Amino acid sequence: MSFLEMRAVSKVYGEGPTEVHAITDIDLSVARGALVAVMGPSGSGKSTLLTIAGSLEEPTSGEVTIDGAALSAMSRNDKARLRRRTVGYVFQDFNLLAGLTAVENVTLPLELDGVATRKAHTAGMAALEELGLAERATRFPDELSGGERQRVAIARAVVGNRQLLLADEPSGALDSVNGEAVMRMILAACHQGVAAIVITHDAKLASWADRVVFLRDGRVVDKTMPPPSPESLLDPSSPSQ
Amino acid sequence: MRWAWRLLRREWRQQLLVLALIAVAVAATTVGVGVSANTPLSPYVGFGTAKDLATFPGVSTAEMAAVSKWHHLYGPVDLIKNETVTIPGSINAFDLRAQNPRGPYGQPLLALVSGHYPVSTREVAVTSGVATSLNLKVGSIWREGGVARRVVGVVENPQNLLDQFALVIPGQVRKPNQVTVLFDAPGVAPGKLGANVVTPGLVAQSNPLNPETISIALATLAMLLIALVAVAGFTVLAQRRLRSIGMLGAIGATDKNIKMVVRANGAMAGVVGALLGLVVGFAAWMAYRPSLEASAHHVIGVFHLPWVVIAVAMVLAVIAAYFAATRPAKAVTRISVVAALSGRPAPPKKIRRTVVPGVVFVVVAFFLLGAAGASGGKGGGIPELMLGFVALTVAVVLLAPFLLTMLSRLTRRGPLAVRMATRDLARYRARSGSALGAISIGVFIAVVVMVASAARFGNVLDYAGPNVAPTQLIIYTPIGPYGPGPGNAGVAPPTFNLKLMDSGAHSIAKALGSHDIIQLDTTSATLQHAAPGRSYAGPLYVATPQLLKAFGIKASSLSPTADILSMRPGFSSLTKMQLVYGNYFANGNHSQGNQFACPKSDCLANPKIQEVTELPSGTSAPNTVITEYAVHQLALKTLVSGWLVQTNHPLSALQLNDARITAATSDLSIETKSSIPTSASIIDWATLVGILLALGILAMSIGLIRSEAAGDLRILTAAGASSFMRRNLTAVTAGALALIGAVVGTVAGYIAMIAFSRTSSLDGLSSLSSVPVANLLIILVAMPVGATVGGWLLAGREPAAFAHQPIE
Repeated sequence: MSFLEMRAVSKVYGEGPTEVHAITDIDLSVARGALVAVMGPSGSGKSTLLTIAGSLEEPTSGEVTIDGAALSAMSRNDKARLRRRTVGYVFQDFNLLAGLTAVENVTLPLELDGVATRKAHTAGMAALEELGLAERATRFPDELSGGERQRVAIARAVVGNRQLLLADEPSGALDSVNGEAVMRMILAACHQGVAAIVITHDAKLASWADRVVFLRDGRVVDKTMPPPSPESLLDPSSPSQ
Repeated sequence: MRWAWRLLRREWRQQLLVLALIAVAVAATTVGVGVSANTPLSPYVGFGTAKDLATFPGVSTAEMAAVSKWHHLYGPVDLIKNETVTIPGSINAFDLRAQNPRGPYGQPLLALVSGHYPVSTREVAVTSGVATSLNLKVGSIWREGGVARRVVGVVENPQNLLDQFALVIPGQVRKPNQVTVLFDAPGVAPGKLGANVVTPGLVAQSNPLNPETISIALATLAMLLIALVAVAGFTVLAQRRLRSIGMLGAIGATDKNIKMVVRANGAMAGVVGALLGLVVGFAAWMAYRPSLEASAHHVIGVFHLPWVVIAVAMVLAVIAAYFAATRPAKAVTRISVVAALSGRPAPPKKIRRTVVPGVVFVVVAFFLLGAAGASGGKGGGIPELMLGFVALTVAVVLLAPFLLTMLSRLTRRGPLAVRMATRDLARYRARSGSALGAISIGVFIAVVVMVASAARFGNVLDYAGPNVAPTQLIIYTPIGPYGPGPGNAGVAPPTFNLKLMDSGAHSIAKALGSHDIIQLDTTSATLQHAAPGRSYAGPLYVATPQLLKAFGIKASSLSPTADILSMRPGFSSLTKMQLVYGNYFANGNHSQGNQFACPKSDCLANPKIQEVTELPSGTSAPNTVITEYAVHQLALKTLVSGWLVQTNHPLSALQLNDARITAATSDLSIETKSSIPTSASIIDWATLVGILLALGILAMSIGLIRSEAAGDLRILTAAGASSFMRRNLTAVTAGALALIGAVVGTVAGYIAMIAFSRTSSLDGLSSLSSVPVANLLIILVAMPVGATVGGWLLAGREPAAFAHQPIE
């Protein structure tokens, strides 16, 4: 059974002449432990897809369920609780809170969920240790390198046994070595049963996914499972286009 | 410059806060200085059209010789003679004035309301106030000093409608107690003409605290507060315009160009705000002017405004806005062009700012205020006082960022919302530090007013504050409220007709519908504090059985050997008190330095004082009384000095006027409630104004501070923060700023008062023992709690967009 299920999801911004169809009739399902890569040019609706999947925005039409629960039936507080306990986000620009240390950033969802500070700290340290960042735990984000910041962001996204990982170009601001390291971590999380959606422009990194979804103008134009090769996805003469 | 102007024109909504602040401040200054400059009488009022004015206490040969000399040297002189005449039955008086209505210089000081000016020795013209007091009208006969004169007109002094006089022709004032000579001696220094000669310029200089000076000081303080808030406004504006600024850099603008754009934008905001304020202020002035004329008792021209002060306030507004934009201007040039183009603000620079300058300013302020306190009792110390306050204000502004850092450290193990809010405050000190400084200054001013009022009103010796209640009236015999006093040995004046006066007092009480009339007896005794500083002030009536009964005091509750009873809190614990009587002063017992003689013949050292809360608290009421025990022990004679009449309802102006007229017929005078506000009302108003000022600044600043951290809200929401958490963040930010502002302002206020009082010869440090606890608690507890609750209620909105950052 799919952990994340999106059925006929559409999102329209604005009204009248300024109306923009960000995504149209998207169907997507992600099972536990699966890694889905989403590719597409700028403005194709990738980030909108991710924010709707993570309950940060509501679709104009369609239905989204996470672990069998429909988001449309949830209150704002229910959704906030879902994000604290189930969904983890990783953004391209790291999006760490500059005023909190690395470990405090990691423990943020736990502390928001009411977990005792000491207990949250222990869990956060464990997550950082797993990612090789235990020694940098008390550093503030502006004292960390780009790769370290993204690892902290991933630690924050997986801490507390979250089941759905949504990453918006997690390697976009990193070099290829760090980019690969980040993908490896996400894959490791998937191996532990986490369902993940990763937006990426890098076909090579997308090839790590179980499935690649290609978006153009807000519509799914291709679903590949598994990708025959990363390069073929970008070839306009390919039969899958 | 063009770009700066476009920035202001196109982004005026973002600058609305700063524009509104400046406009309101300039408008308030325009109306404020208009009112303050026009309400009191101008120092030039007595000059008429003359350039020199001499005053003499009377007419002597030498003085007349001087007048003749001036007449010979400088041409015509205008002589105005005044003799003080007391209104029967009142402590008020008016002048019998001999003045030529067509005199060379004094014509602006006279105007005819009705009738005509007196032209013969048997004619008089009176002001409306004198006519009312003496029940006169045109055609009436007025007898004064054995001379009967017909009232032929009603006159006024257009420059001072409070000037009450009866005008007679020159030569009719035989015993003047003030002679004014108006003349023109161009190019001659007044000092060369005589010590009693002044010019308008000299009069203006002799008053360092004229309305203009006060207005400029207040305008400067207001502009400082505005500048502090505007720093936050311009910083956020520069942040929002980061992409545009990056674009400017990308096409080749230098750091100097970019700084100039931001600074010019600030200056233009100042100019527009100042002009807007002037227009609004002038409109408000025109609307209020008629009411002011009625209350100020003189005619005020539409353009009769201190334009120099208004111009200074406008310039200050532009300077404040310019300097407020300077720091953000520097900050944006530190960001790389690429970062600016992508709209990423630079991470806050780690500042290792030392607290030394702030501490130095505190020390400087302490000594300046100490110097002001030391010379305050001698009429000086104003410059030191003002400089001290300025230094303390600067210290508060300098120390504010450091305190935010300290707060952040103290709360590093606190709950998440507290931790995040305080760290944001510390990180964005450019905004929060300015806001904290402004809040602290608002609280500081309020605390100084509160503590100073509490100290002054709490002085048990020189008891200040309101006198009798609105339902009370005191009728005095010619002995007056303080009795005959030591030196007169309790001897009544020869014209003392007690029977007539007692009858008059009871008639007044009856007319007021009161049976509650208490006879007030005095003796020659009074109290004195045998130490430097303030001494005892107030009447010392005798605690007769009737008086004690009237206030529900049972004899059994009093010590049989008590000498003095008082309701003044803490009076019984005073040391070095002396009860002096008889011929104490007549025998030459005056203080010499710290030495206060206390001969047994007419002085009782350390009289036994008992505090009795039931006694009334008015300054003129019997709040402190001498017991009959002491009267017998010291063999004092008692005299009736008045009656206290108490009614069930506040007394009307008509009733009081009737009472005064009745009192006059019986050789009595009356005293009623004065307009002096109570200490409670002053402290309450100071508290309210301080809190409103602080919360106003806080409300303006908090939005700016949180908008800076708007990106954090996006992350928090993505991490699962509910609106509760977002509300908590704003609430803690508001509460923390309000709390530190309240603490810093209160501490600064007490530093100022301690510095001033410790050297003050009148009120020492002990005067600060009267602490307005309730009001301080309101500022220190209720204000931060209010700010926290307000922040919580007004916050919590979810960030507008997640997938894309809003494009501005």
